[in-house]
Amino acid sequence: MTEQEIIEKTNRVFEDSFEIEPDRLNPEAHIFIDLGLDSLDIVDLIVALQSSFGIKIRTDEKVRDIRTLGDVYRFIATIKNGEQAE
Amino acid sequence: MSLKRVVITGIGVVSPFGPGLEPLMLGLKGGQSTTRYMVGWDQYTGLQSLVGAPVEDLDEKRIPRQKRRSMGRMSIFAAYAADEALLDAGITLASEDLWKVGCVIGSSMGSAKSINDAFETMLPDKDLSRLNSTMFFQCMSHTAAVNTAQYLGLVGTVMAPAAACASALHSIGTAYDLIRLGRQDLVLCGGAEELHPTVTGSFDILFATSTKYNDSPEQTPRPFDRDRDGLVCGEGCGILILEEYDRAIKRGARIYGEVTGFSTTASGLHVSQSNRDSMVVCMQQALSEAAITVKDVDYINAHATATIQGDMEEAEAVRELFGDKVPISSLKGNLGHTLGASGAIELAATLKMMEEGVIYPTLNLENIAPDCEGIQHVMEPVKKKVRTILKNGFAFGGINAAIVCRSL
Repeated sequence: MTEQEIIEKTNRVFEDSFEIEPDRLNPEAHIFIDLGLDSLDIVDLIVALQSSFGIKIRTDEKVRDIRTLGDVYRFIATIKNGEQAE
Repeated sequence: MSLKRVVITGIGVVSPFGPGLEPLMLGLKGGQSTTRYMVGWDQYTGLQSLVGAPVEDLDEKRIPRQKRRSMGRMSIFAAYAADEALLDAGITLASEDLWKVGCVIGSSMGSAKSINDAFETMLPDKDLSRLNSTMFFQCMSHTAAVNTAQYLGLVGTVMAPAAACASALHSIGTAYDLIRLGRQDLVLCGGAEELHPTVTGSFDILFATSTKYNDSPEQTPRPFDRDRDGLVCGEGCGILILEEYDRAIKRGARIYGEVTGFSTTASGLHVSQSNRDSMVVCMQQALSEAAITVKDVDYINAHATATIQGDMEEAEAVRELFGDKVPISSLKGNLGHTLGASGAIELAATLKMMEEGVIYPTLNLENIAPDCEGIQHVMEPVKKKVRTILKNGFAFGGINAAIVCRSL
Protein backbone atom coordinates (compact mmCIF):
# COMPACT_ATOMS: atom_id res chain seq x y z
CA MET A 1 0.00 0.00 0.00
CA THR A 2 1.45 3.38 -1.00
CA GLU A 3 1.79 6.34 1.31
CA GLN A 4 -0.76 8.24 -0.77
CA GLU A 5 -3.27 5.39 -0.51
CA ILE A 6 -2.88 5.35 3.26
CA ILE A 7 -3.40 9.12 3.47
CA GLU A 8 -6.50 9.03 1.28
CA LYS A 9 -8.06 6.11 3.11
CA THR A 10 -7.32 7.59 6.54
CA ASN A 11 -8.69 10.97 5.52
CA ARG A 12 -11.86 9.29 4.32
CA VAL A 13 -12.29 7.80 7.81
CA PHE A 14 -12.04 11.27 9.33
CA GLU A 15 -14.50 12.69 6.80
CA ASP A 16 -17.04 9.88 7.10
CA SER A 17 -16.84 9.09 10.80
CA PHE A 18 -16.20 12.55 12.23
CA GLU A 19 -17.63 14.83 9.53
CA ILE A 20 -14.40 16.82 9.23
CA GLU A 21 -13.97 18.95 6.12
CA PRO A 22 -11.15 17.72 3.81
CA ASP A 23 -9.28 21.05 3.92
CA ARG A 24 -8.70 20.63 7.66
CA LEU A 25 -7.01 17.26 7.18
CA ASN A 26 -3.30 18.01 7.14
CA PRO A 27 -0.55 15.92 8.73
CA GLU A 28 0.19 18.51 11.42
CA ALA A 29 -3.42 18.64 12.63
CA HIS A 30 -3.66 17.56 16.27
CA ILE A 31 -6.53 15.09 16.42
CA PHE A 32 -7.81 16.34 19.80
CA ILE A 33 -7.04 20.07 19.65
CA ASP A 34 -7.43 20.83 15.95
CA LEU A 35 -9.87 18.17 14.81
CA GLY A 36 -11.96 18.09 18.00
CA LEU A 37 -11.93 14.37 18.70
CA ASP A 38 -12.30 13.11 22.27
CA SER A 39 -11.84 9.82 24.12
CA LEU A 40 -15.03 8.28 22.72
CA ASP A 41 -14.02 9.27 19.20
CA ILE A 42 -10.71 7.45 19.61
CA VAL A 43 -12.63 4.21 20.18
CA ASP A 44 -14.54 4.86 16.96
CA LEU A 45 -11.35 5.84 15.14
CA ILE A 46 -9.85 2.47 16.04
CA VAL A 47 -12.98 0.61 14.90
CA ALA A 48 -13.06 2.54 11.62
CA LEU A 49 -9.33 2.12 10.90
CA GLN A 50 -9.56 -1.61 11.65
CA SER A 51 -12.46 -1.93 9.22
CA SER A 52 -10.95 0.29 6.56
CA PHE A 53 -7.44 -1.25 6.53
CA GLY A 54 -8.28 -4.80 7.63
CA ILE A 55 -5.98 -4.57 10.63
CA LYS A 56 -6.27 -5.21 14.39
CA ILE A 57 -4.99 -2.34 16.51
CA ARG A 58 -7.33 -2.25 19.49
CA THR A 59 -4.75 -3.64 21.90
CA ASP A 60 -1.71 -2.03 20.23
CA GLU A 61 -0.12 0.21 22.86
CA LYS A 62 1.34 2.48 20.17
CA VAL A 63 -2.16 3.84 19.58
CA ARG A 64 -1.69 5.82 22.80
CA ASP A 65 1.20 7.76 21.24
CA ILE A 66 -0.89 9.14 18.39
CA ARG A 67 -1.33 12.90 18.56
CA THR A 68 -1.50 14.19 14.99
CA LEU A 69 -3.02 13.03 11.75
CA GLY A 70 0.53 12.45 10.51
CA ASP A 71 1.03 10.09 13.47
CA VAL A 72 -1.99 8.10 12.25
CA TYR A 73 -0.56 7.86 8.71
CA ARG A 74 2.81 6.65 10.06
CA PHE A 75 1.20 4.20 12.49
CA ILE A 76 -0.86 2.62 9.70
CA ALA A 77 2.13 2.59 7.33
CA THR A 78 4.26 0.75 9.90
CA ILE A 79 1.61 -1.94 10.28
CA LYS A 80 0.89 -2.30 6.57
CA ASN A 81 4.62 -2.33 5.69
CA GLY A 82 5.14 -4.94 8.39
CA GLU A 83 2.46 -7.07 6.79
CA GLN A 84 4.23 -6.79 3.41
CA ALA A 85 7.61 -7.73 4.95
CA GLU A 86 6.03 -10.87 6.35
CA MET B 1 -46.64 21.98 52.86
CA SER B 2 -48.98 23.17 50.17
CA LEU B 3 -48.54 21.71 46.74
CA LYS B 4 -47.64 24.02 43.89
CA ARG B 5 -49.79 24.38 40.81
CA VAL B 6 -48.42 23.11 37.51
CA VAL B 7 -49.13 24.47 34.04
CA ILE B 8 -48.11 23.52 30.51
CA THR B 9 -46.36 26.39 28.74
CA GLY B 10 -44.63 24.80 25.78
CA ILE B 11 -45.14 22.02 23.24
CA GLY B 12 -42.75 20.31 20.87
CA VAL B 13 -43.59 17.39 18.63
CA VAL B 14 -42.06 15.08 16.09
CA SER B 15 -44.86 12.93 14.71
CA PRO B 16 -45.45 10.80 11.63
CA PHE B 17 -46.77 14.06 10.10
CA GLY B 18 -43.20 15.39 10.41
CA PRO B 19 -41.32 17.60 12.81
CA GLY B 20 -43.41 20.28 14.48
CA LEU B 21 -46.77 20.83 16.13
CA GLU B 22 -48.20 22.63 13.11
CA PRO B 23 -47.92 19.68 10.66
CA LEU B 24 -49.50 17.47 13.32
CA MET B 25 -52.51 19.73 13.74
CA LEU B 26 -52.88 20.26 10.01
CA GLY B 27 -52.80 16.49 9.49
CA LEU B 28 -55.46 15.94 12.13
CA LYS B 29 -57.57 18.77 10.76
CA GLY B 30 -57.34 17.27 7.29
CA GLY B 31 -58.27 13.81 8.55
CA GLN B 32 -55.10 12.38 7.06
CA SER B 33 -53.52 9.00 7.67
CA THR B 34 -49.79 8.52 8.09
CA THR B 35 -49.83 4.73 7.73
CA ARG B 36 -47.54 3.46 4.96
CA TYR B 37 -46.58 0.13 3.48
CA MET B 38 -43.10 -0.48 4.86
CA VAL B 39 -40.80 -1.43 2.01
CA GLY B 40 -38.38 -4.21 2.96
CA TRP B 41 -40.29 -5.53 5.96
CA ASP B 42 -41.41 -8.56 3.95
CA GLN B 43 -37.90 -9.99 4.38
CA TYR B 44 -38.82 -10.84 7.99
CA THR B 45 -40.24 -14.34 8.05
CA GLY B 46 -43.39 -14.49 10.13
CA LEU B 47 -44.01 -10.73 10.21
CA GLN B 48 -47.62 -10.34 9.15
CA SER B 49 -48.05 -6.60 9.63
CA LEU B 50 -46.18 -4.72 6.91
CA VAL B 51 -47.48 -1.25 7.72
CA GLY B 52 -46.14 1.53 9.91
CA ALA B 53 -46.34 5.26 10.55
CA PRO B 54 -42.79 6.54 10.09
CA VAL B 55 -41.33 10.01 10.60
CA GLU B 56 -39.87 11.42 7.41
CA ASP B 57 -38.00 14.59 6.44
CA LEU B 58 -35.82 15.03 9.50
CA ASP B 59 -32.45 16.70 9.09
CA GLU B 60 -30.51 15.06 11.90
CA LYS B 61 -27.30 16.93 11.04
CA ARG B 62 -28.84 20.02 12.59
CA ILE B 63 -27.61 18.48 15.84
CA PRO B 64 -23.81 18.82 16.29
CA ARG B 65 -21.96 15.55 15.70
CA GLN B 66 -20.58 15.13 19.20
CA LYS B 67 -24.09 15.53 20.65
CA ARG B 68 -25.63 13.38 17.91
CA ARG B 69 -23.18 10.45 18.03
CA SER B 70 -24.81 8.96 21.14
CA MET B 71 -28.32 9.45 19.78
CA GLY B 72 -30.38 6.78 18.16
CA ARG B 73 -33.34 7.84 16.08
CA MET B 74 -35.62 8.36 19.08
CA SER B 75 -33.17 10.68 20.81
CA ILE B 76 -32.91 12.77 17.67
CA PHE B 77 -36.69 13.08 17.73
CA ALA B 78 -36.46 14.10 21.38
CA ALA B 79 -33.82 16.77 20.76
CA TYR B 80 -35.91 18.20 17.93
CA ALA B 81 -39.08 18.25 20.02
CA ALA B 82 -37.27 19.74 23.03
CA ASP B 83 -35.93 22.59 20.89
CA GLU B 84 -39.42 23.34 19.60
CA ALA B 85 -40.96 23.14 23.07
CA LEU B 86 -38.47 25.59 24.57
CA LEU B 87 -38.93 27.99 21.67
CA ASP B 88 -42.69 27.68 21.98
CA ALA B 89 -42.48 28.40 25.71
CA GLY B 90 -40.24 31.40 25.16
CA ILE B 91 -37.66 29.97 27.52
CA THR B 92 -33.95 30.68 27.19
CA LEU B 93 -32.06 28.12 29.23
CA ALA B 94 -29.07 30.43 29.65
CA SER B 95 -31.16 32.62 31.94
CA GLU B 96 -32.56 29.74 34.04
CA ASP B 97 -31.31 28.23 37.28
CA LEU B 98 -30.49 24.96 35.56
CA TRP B 99 -30.44 22.96 38.80
CA LYS B 100 -34.20 23.56 38.89
CA VAL B 101 -34.81 22.47 35.29
CA GLY B 102 -35.55 18.77 34.84
CA CYS B 103 -35.84 16.40 31.92
CA VAL B 104 -38.15 13.38 32.17
CA ILE B 105 -38.57 11.46 28.94
CA GLY B 106 -39.74 7.87 28.82
CA SER B 107 -39.80 5.16 26.18
CA SER B 108 -40.52 1.46 25.98
CA MET B 109 -36.85 0.67 25.46
CA GLY B 110 -33.67 2.16 24.04
CA SER B 111 -33.29 2.86 20.35
CA ALA B 112 -34.70 -0.19 18.58
CA LYS B 113 -32.56 0.23 15.48
CA SER B 114 -29.40 0.69 17.52
CA ILE B 115 -30.15 -2.39 19.62
CA ASN B 116 -30.75 -4.38 16.46
CA ASP B 117 -27.59 -3.01 14.83
CA ALA B 118 -25.50 -3.78 17.92
CA PHE B 119 -26.51 -7.42 17.95
CA GLU B 120 -26.22 -7.77 14.18
CA THR B 121 -22.68 -6.38 14.42
CA MET B 122 -21.62 -8.47 17.39
CA LEU B 123 -23.32 -11.83 17.12
CA PRO B 124 -22.48 -13.34 13.73
CA ASP B 125 -18.79 -13.77 14.68
CA LYS B 126 -19.25 -13.13 18.41
CA ASP B 127 -16.88 -10.21 17.86
CA LEU B 128 -17.11 -7.11 20.05
CA SER B 129 -14.28 -5.25 18.33
CA ARG B 130 -16.56 -3.80 15.66
CA LEU B 131 -18.86 -2.07 18.16
CA ASN B 132 -18.51 1.69 18.22
CA SER B 133 -18.13 3.73 21.39
CA THR B 134 -21.59 5.23 21.52
CA MET B 135 -23.72 2.18 20.76
CA PHE B 136 -24.49 1.60 24.42
CA PHE B 137 -25.66 5.18 24.87
CA GLN B 138 -28.13 4.68 22.02
CA CYS B 139 -29.37 1.36 23.41
CA MET B 140 -29.80 2.17 27.10
CA SER B 141 -33.33 2.60 28.41
CA HIS B 142 -32.88 6.23 29.44
CA THR B 143 -31.31 7.20 26.13
CA ALA B 144 -33.86 9.87 25.11
CA ALA B 145 -33.81 11.61 28.49
CA VAL B 146 -30.04 11.53 28.82
CA ASN B 147 -29.31 12.62 25.27
CA THR B 148 -31.81 15.47 25.48
CA ALA B 149 -30.34 16.63 28.79
CA GLN B 150 -26.80 16.44 27.37
CA TYR B 151 -27.85 18.24 24.21
CA LEU B 152 -29.39 21.10 26.17
CA GLY B 153 -26.93 21.10 29.07
CA LEU B 154 -29.59 20.31 31.67
CA VAL B 155 -28.38 19.44 35.15
CA GLY B 156 -31.56 19.06 37.20
CA THR B 157 -33.56 15.87 37.62
CA VAL B 158 -33.13 13.55 34.64
CA MET B 159 -35.36 10.48 34.65
CA ALA B 160 -36.77 8.00 32.17
CA PRO B 161 -39.92 6.17 33.21
CA ALA B 162 -40.23 2.99 31.17
CA ALA B 163 -43.79 1.73 31.03
CA ALA B 164 -44.19 0.76 27.38
CA CYS B 165 -47.13 2.67 25.90
CA ALA B 166 -47.81 4.54 29.16
CA SER B 167 -44.24 5.87 29.36
CA ALA B 168 -45.05 9.41 28.24
CA LEU B 169 -47.93 9.81 30.68
CA HIS B 170 -45.75 8.43 33.45
CA SER B 171 -43.15 11.04 32.51
CA ILE B 172 -45.66 13.86 32.54
CA GLY B 173 -47.07 12.60 35.85
CA THR B 174 -43.57 12.46 37.29
CA ALA B 175 -42.79 15.98 36.09
CA TYR B 176 -46.09 17.16 37.60
CA ASP B 177 -45.04 15.72 40.97
CA LEU B 178 -41.52 17.17 40.76
CA ILE B 179 -42.97 20.64 40.32
CA ARG B 180 -45.87 20.19 42.75
CA LEU B 181 -43.38 19.20 45.42
CA GLY B 182 -41.11 22.15 44.67
CA ARG B 183 -38.18 20.01 43.59
CA GLN B 184 -38.04 21.52 40.10
CA ASP B 185 -39.40 24.76 38.64
CA LEU B 186 -39.52 23.63 35.06
CA VAL B 187 -39.47 20.17 33.49
CA LEU B 188 -39.22 19.07 29.89
CA CYS B 189 -41.24 15.89 29.84
CA GLY B 190 -42.79 13.40 27.47
CA GLY B 191 -41.96 10.28 25.55
CA ALA B 192 -40.08 9.07 22.51
CA GLU B 193 -40.14 5.92 20.44
CA GLU B 194 -38.98 4.68 17.07
CA LEU B 195 -40.40 2.41 14.45
CA HIS B 196 -38.54 -0.77 13.58
CA PRO B 197 -39.68 -4.13 12.23
CA THR B 198 -38.55 -5.80 15.43
CA VAL B 199 -40.81 -3.49 17.44
CA THR B 200 -43.82 -4.22 15.26
CA GLY B 201 -42.76 -7.86 15.43
CA SER B 202 -43.05 -7.92 19.21
CA PHE B 203 -46.76 -7.09 18.87
CA ASP B 204 -47.16 -9.16 15.72
CA ILE B 205 -46.27 -12.45 17.37
CA LEU B 206 -49.00 -11.75 19.94
CA PHE B 207 -51.57 -11.18 17.15
CA ALA B 208 -51.95 -7.56 18.28
CA THR B 209 -51.01 -5.88 14.98
CA SER B 210 -53.10 -4.94 11.97
CA THR B 211 -52.47 -7.48 9.21
CA LYS B 212 -55.41 -7.20 6.82
CA TYR B 213 -54.65 -3.78 5.39
CA ASN B 214 -51.14 -4.19 4.01
CA ASP B 215 -52.52 -3.30 0.57
CA SER B 216 -54.61 -0.35 1.81
CA PRO B 217 -52.53 1.15 4.63
CA GLU B 218 -54.55 4.33 5.02
CA GLN B 219 -57.53 2.26 6.20
CA THR B 220 -55.74 1.09 9.34
CA PRO B 221 -55.58 1.30 12.34
CA ARG B 222 -59.32 1.50 13.02
CA PRO B 223 -59.88 2.31 16.70
CA PHE B 224 -63.30 1.23 18.03
CA ASP B 225 -64.37 0.11 14.54
CA ARG B 226 -66.17 -3.10 13.72
CA ASP B 227 -63.42 -4.01 11.26
CA ARG B 228 -60.43 -3.15 13.43
CA ASP B 229 -57.74 -5.81 13.40
CA GLY B 230 -54.93 -4.48 15.53
CA LEU B 231 -52.46 -1.68 16.03
CA VAL B 232 -50.01 -0.04 13.63
CA CYS B 233 -46.72 1.04 15.13
CA GLY B 234 -45.60 4.61 14.64
CA GLU B 235 -42.75 6.74 15.94
CA GLY B 236 -41.96 10.19 17.18
CA CYS B 237 -41.64 12.25 20.31
CA GLY B 238 -43.75 14.66 22.28
CA ILE B 239 -42.22 17.09 24.76
CA LEU B 240 -44.24 19.33 27.04
CA ILE B 241 -42.84 22.12 29.18
CA LEU B 242 -44.36 21.85 32.64
CA GLU B 243 -43.82 24.89 34.78
CA GLU B 244 -44.69 26.10 38.23
CA TYR B 245 -47.83 28.25 37.95
CA ASP B 246 -46.67 31.42 39.73
CA ARG B 247 -43.48 31.78 37.73
CA ALA B 248 -45.37 31.10 34.49
CA ILE B 249 -47.82 33.88 35.35
CA LYS B 250 -45.01 36.20 36.43
CA ARG B 251 -43.19 35.88 33.13
CA GLY B 252 -46.43 36.21 31.14
CA ALA B 253 -46.18 32.75 29.61
CA ARG B 254 -48.78 31.39 27.24
CA ILE B 255 -50.53 28.65 29.19
CA TYR B 256 -52.00 25.70 27.30
CA GLY B 257 -53.56 24.25 30.41
CA GLU B 258 -53.12 23.30 34.02
CA VAL B 259 -52.37 19.74 35.03
CA THR B 260 -54.84 19.06 37.81
CA GLY B 261 -54.91 15.29 38.16
CA PHE B 262 -52.80 12.26 37.46
CA SER B 263 -53.16 8.62 38.34
CA THR B 264 -51.52 5.36 37.43
CA THR B 265 -52.71 1.91 38.41
CA ALA B 266 -51.87 -1.67 37.47
CA SER B 267 -54.14 -4.61 36.79
CA GLY B 268 -52.11 -7.21 38.65
CA LEU B 269 -53.89 -9.79 36.54
CA HIS B 270 -52.31 -10.30 33.16
CA VAL B 271 -49.12 -9.15 31.48
CA SER B 272 -50.69 -8.31 28.11
CA GLN B 273 -54.48 -8.14 28.50
CA SER B 274 -56.07 -4.81 29.34
CA ASN B 275 -58.37 -4.69 32.34
CA ARG B 276 -61.39 -2.40 32.60
CA ASP B 277 -61.69 -2.43 36.40
CA SER B 278 -58.21 -1.07 36.97
CA MET B 279 -58.76 1.44 34.13
CA VAL B 280 -61.90 2.71 35.88
CA VAL B 281 -60.05 3.18 39.16
CA CYS B 282 -57.23 4.95 37.33
CA MET B 283 -59.56 7.44 35.66
CA GLN B 284 -61.56 7.92 38.89
CA GLN B 285 -58.41 8.69 40.86
CA ALA B 286 -57.24 11.23 38.29
CA LEU B 287 -60.65 12.96 38.43
CA SER B 288 -60.63 12.85 42.20
CA GLU B 289 -57.19 14.44 42.40
CA ALA B 290 -58.45 17.16 40.07
CA ALA B 291 -61.42 17.59 42.43
CA ILE B 292 -63.92 17.17 39.60
CA THR B 293 -66.61 14.68 38.65
CA VAL B 294 -67.36 12.96 35.37
CA LYS B 295 -69.78 15.79 34.54
CA ASP B 296 -66.89 18.26 34.38
CA VAL B 297 -65.00 16.43 31.64
CA ASP B 298 -65.54 17.90 28.15
CA TYR B 299 -63.47 15.46 26.13
CA ILE B 300 -61.64 12.16 26.55
CA ASN B 301 -58.63 11.47 24.39
CA ALA B 302 -58.61 7.69 24.28
CA HIS B 303 -55.67 5.34 24.29
CA ALA B 304 -57.55 3.06 21.84
CA THR B 305 -54.98 1.50 19.54
CA ALA B 306 -57.41 -0.64 17.51
CA THR B 307 -56.60 -3.94 19.15
CA ILE B 308 -59.65 -6.14 19.63
CA GLN B 309 -59.36 -6.54 23.37
CA GLY B 310 -57.80 -3.20 24.35
CA ASP B 311 -60.42 -1.04 22.64
CA MET B 312 -63.23 -3.09 24.11
CA GLU B 313 -61.86 -2.80 27.65
CA GLU B 314 -61.33 0.94 27.35
CA ALA B 315 -64.80 1.45 25.86
CA GLU B 316 -66.36 -0.54 28.70
CA ALA B 317 -64.37 1.35 31.32
CA VAL B 318 -65.34 4.72 29.84
CA ARG B 319 -68.97 3.59 29.52
CA GLU B 320 -69.05 2.54 33.16
CA LEU B 321 -67.76 5.92 34.33
CA PHE B 322 -69.10 8.39 31.79
CA GLY B 323 -71.88 6.60 29.93
CA ASP B 324 -72.42 8.33 26.60
CA LYS B 325 -72.16 11.82 28.01
CA VAL B 326 -68.60 12.77 27.06
CA PRO B 327 -67.10 12.95 23.54
CA ILE B 328 -64.23 10.53 23.04
CA SER B 329 -61.84 9.97 20.14
CA SER B 330 -58.54 8.27 19.44
CA LEU B 331 -55.85 9.90 17.30
CA LYS B 332 -54.21 6.59 16.45
CA GLY B 333 -56.17 6.33 13.22
CA ASN B 334 -54.06 9.28 12.07
CA LEU B 335 -50.78 8.66 13.86
CA GLY B 336 -50.55 4.95 14.38
CA HIS B 337 -49.43 3.91 17.83
CA THR B 338 -46.34 5.88 18.72
CA LEU B 339 -45.98 3.68 21.81
CA GLY B 340 -43.91 5.36 24.51
CA ALA B 341 -44.37 8.71 22.77
CA SER B 342 -48.12 8.43 22.26
CA GLY B 343 -49.25 9.93 25.56
CA ALA B 344 -47.26 13.11 24.99
CA ILE B 345 -47.95 13.56 21.27
CA GLU B 346 -51.66 12.95 21.77
CA LEU B 347 -51.86 15.16 24.87
CA ALA B 348 -50.12 17.91 22.89
CA ALA B 349 -52.75 17.60 20.15
CA THR B 350 -55.51 17.50 22.76
CA LEU B 351 -54.26 20.73 24.36
CA LYS B 352 -54.30 22.37 20.93
CA MET B 353 -57.84 21.09 20.34
CA MET B 354 -58.79 22.63 23.69
CA GLU B 355 -57.24 25.91 22.62
CA GLU B 356 -58.93 25.86 19.21
CA GLY B 357 -62.33 24.71 20.51
CA VAL B 358 -62.52 21.73 18.21
CA ILE B 359 -62.48 17.96 18.70
CA TYR B 360 -61.04 15.85 15.92
CA PRO B 361 -62.64 12.47 15.26
CA THR B 362 -61.31 8.93 15.29
CA LEU B 363 -60.03 8.37 11.77
CA ASN B 364 -61.21 5.09 10.20
CA LEU B 365 -64.05 4.73 12.68
CA GLU B 366 -66.86 4.04 10.22
CA ASN B 367 -68.97 1.42 11.95
CA ILE B 368 -68.85 1.38 15.72
CA ALA B 369 -68.06 -2.11 16.91
CA PRO B 370 -70.81 -3.65 19.07
CA ASP B 371 -68.29 -4.17 21.87
CA CYS B 372 -67.37 -0.47 21.78
CA GLU B 373 -70.88 1.00 21.80
CA GLY B 374 -72.47 3.10 24.52
CA ILE B 375 -69.91 5.89 24.59
CA GLN B 376 -70.01 9.18 22.68
CA HIS B 377 -67.72 8.47 19.73
CA VAL B 378 -66.59 11.50 17.77
CA MET B 379 -66.90 10.60 14.09
CA GLU B 380 -66.80 14.08 12.54
CA PRO B 381 -64.93 17.20 13.68
CA VAL B 382 -66.93 18.88 16.44
CA LYS B 383 -66.71 22.53 17.42
CA LYS B 384 -67.03 22.70 21.17
CA LYS B 385 -65.75 24.73 24.08
CA VAL B 386 -63.43 22.33 25.82
CA ARG B 387 -62.33 23.34 29.29
CA THR B 388 -61.36 20.03 30.88
CA ILE B 389 -59.85 16.98 29.22
CA LEU B 390 -58.94 13.48 30.29
CA LYS B 391 -56.09 11.69 28.52
CA ASN B 392 -55.79 7.93 28.83
CA GLY B 393 -52.74 5.76 28.28
CA PHE B 394 -52.63 2.00 28.78
CA ALA B 395 -49.71 -0.35 28.39
CA PHE B 396 -48.45 -3.89 28.33
CA GLY B 397 -47.75 -5.08 31.81
CA GLY B 398 -51.25 -4.11 32.93
CA ILE B 399 -50.21 -0.48 33.37
CA ASN B 400 -52.85 2.27 33.25
CA ALA B 401 -52.32 6.02 33.35
CA ALA B 402 -54.67 8.98 33.13
CA ILE B 403 -54.12 12.70 33.27
CA VAL B 404 -56.55 15.60 33.67
CA CYS B 405 -55.88 19.08 32.33
CA ARG B 406 -58.04 22.18 32.32
CA SER B 407 -57.83 25.46 30.48
CA LEU B 408 -57.27 28.65 32.49
